[in-house]
Amino acid sequence: MSHSDTVPLHQSSQSDIDEIENLINASVQSAPARVLPARPPSPPRASIPVVSSSPFIQSNLPPPPPPPPSTSSNQKVPSAPAPPPLPTSSIAGSGFGPAPNTLTEPVWDTIKRDLSRIVSNLKLVVFPNPYREDPGKALRDWDLWGPFFFIVFLGLALSWSASVKKVSTDTVLFNLQSEVFAVAFALLAAGAVILTLNVLLLGGHIIFFQSLSLLGYCLFPLDVGAIICMLNDNVILKIIVVCVTLAWSSWAAYPFMSSAVNPRRKALALYPVFLMYVSVGFLIIAID
Amino acid sequence: MQTFPPNNGGERGRGYQTLGSPTEGFEQQPANGWKGVFNILSYTQYFNVDTDVVLNRLISSLNPIAGDFFSKIDANPDLYGLIWISTTLVFVLASFGNCATYLMEKRSDSTTSWSFDVNYVNVAAGSVYGYAIVVPLAFFFLLQYLGANASLVRFWCLWGYSLFVFILASFLLLIPVEILRWIIIILAGAASACFVALNLRSYTEGSNLPLMVVAAFFLQMALAIFIKVWFFP
Repeated sequence: MSHSDTVPLHQSSQSDIDEIENLINASVQSAPARVLPARPPSPPRASIPVVSSSPFIQSNLPPPPPPPPSTSSNQKVPSAPAPPPLPTSSIAGSGFGPAPNTLTEPVWDTIKRDLSRIVSNLKLVVFPNPYREDPGKALRDWDLWGPFFFIVFLGLALSWSASVKKVSTDTVLFNLQSEVFAVAFALLAAGAVILTLNVLLLGGHIIFFQSLSLLGYCLFPLDVGAIICMLNDNVILKIIVVCVTLAWSSWAAYPFMSSAVNPRRKALALYPVFLMYVSVGFLIIAID
Repeated sequence: MQTFPPNNGGERGRGYQTLGSPTEGFEQQPANGWKGVFNILSYTQYFNVDTDVVLNRLISSLNPIAGDFFSKIDANPDLYGLIWISTTLVFVLASFGNCATYLMEKRSDSTTSWSFDVNYVNVAAGSVYGYAIVVPLAFFFLLQYLGANASLVRFWCLWGYSLFVFILASFLLLIPVEILRWIIIILAGAASACFVALNLRSYTEGSNLPLMVVAAFFLQMALAIFIKVWFFP
């Protein structure tokens, strides 16, 4: 899927990259000390020198310098020269961009890089930051590892708390546990896909996997709520915690979903998201 | 706008997109044949509704005796109502069914403890989705067989919106008084059944098919009683 997408993505993303390059140029020329606008450059931009020969950049500007290395705080942008264009450009174009020479690096570096990407994406989606108006732009470096962890973790937390209180024979317990996990996992995974399809069907403009990624990251507050609920037994406190985390999740998903569709259909796109989070919240309260 | 290739590239798998606004062009002309079946964009015509349109249809679904629902949806029948009303109904039945069972047990025996039966979710999903998809399909084929003209999407739309009253009824079914619950579910079922039957009758006005109308009425009542007996015992 993502590979077949790369071809049409190319030209338009080039124009985006050019915009960013111009921004970089402007900022470097006017105020060299200023920090980059959005966020540390994602690895695809490391291949900017390759791209910069496109017809869009025929201007009076001097050839753009590569992005300053000081801005890449949490990601290893290779200091190597521009990579050979053919294989890497297709990988980098999918927005999944590891550095060109990741094959030889230690596994631990790869894991660290993925973890730091998950953390930075989480910050962009769930916590307040200045780019909330259009998170689609902010979350260019989407990944599916974070959503996967959050979904599996939520399913495990629910099924674990289902097993704690029940006193029954082993087989019944096992059935109950696996059934809870199955329901939770199916609800979350299928839910994300169906919500994305819903936006597409309503005529919205959205990138399929990016939306999956974002909806998965929005589950993080509910994960926190599930942990808190697992650790205490007071029903009133549980309800309060779940309501707060529910509001937090909805707040995190709101700008992305509402900016994707026509304003007159905003409620139609948001209602299913809200319904899914409410049902997850209900599961958290109800299961133990 | 230009950075959204899935609208454009996905199934077609070819070509560079122009920098104009290509997606609108594609929405107008979905692909035909097998390609169209698997292309998500060929279904956007069934989701071409705004918030106020959906609200309007929901409100008119609460009026069982008007019988003019088909004339309201004539221009563009939507499947949004079917999908999300039935999904909401599944959630409401599974959650409130558990709550109601707990409340009833609590009333007779105050020492009972909360337990969540995941099975409710499975049964609710199976019955509601099954009913909302299979019954309109059956009526569509029956009407085709009997020679009347019928539209499958309009039927799905009608049956989908007819389930809306059950969502409201489920909130009231939480009241742990048995006789009141039966009154509520019978009223809701009758309203929903009348809505379906009267609209079906006005739709098949020309052809004389009273048996179909009666069958639709009783199927809807059976669904109501099933909801009461299974989820709110």
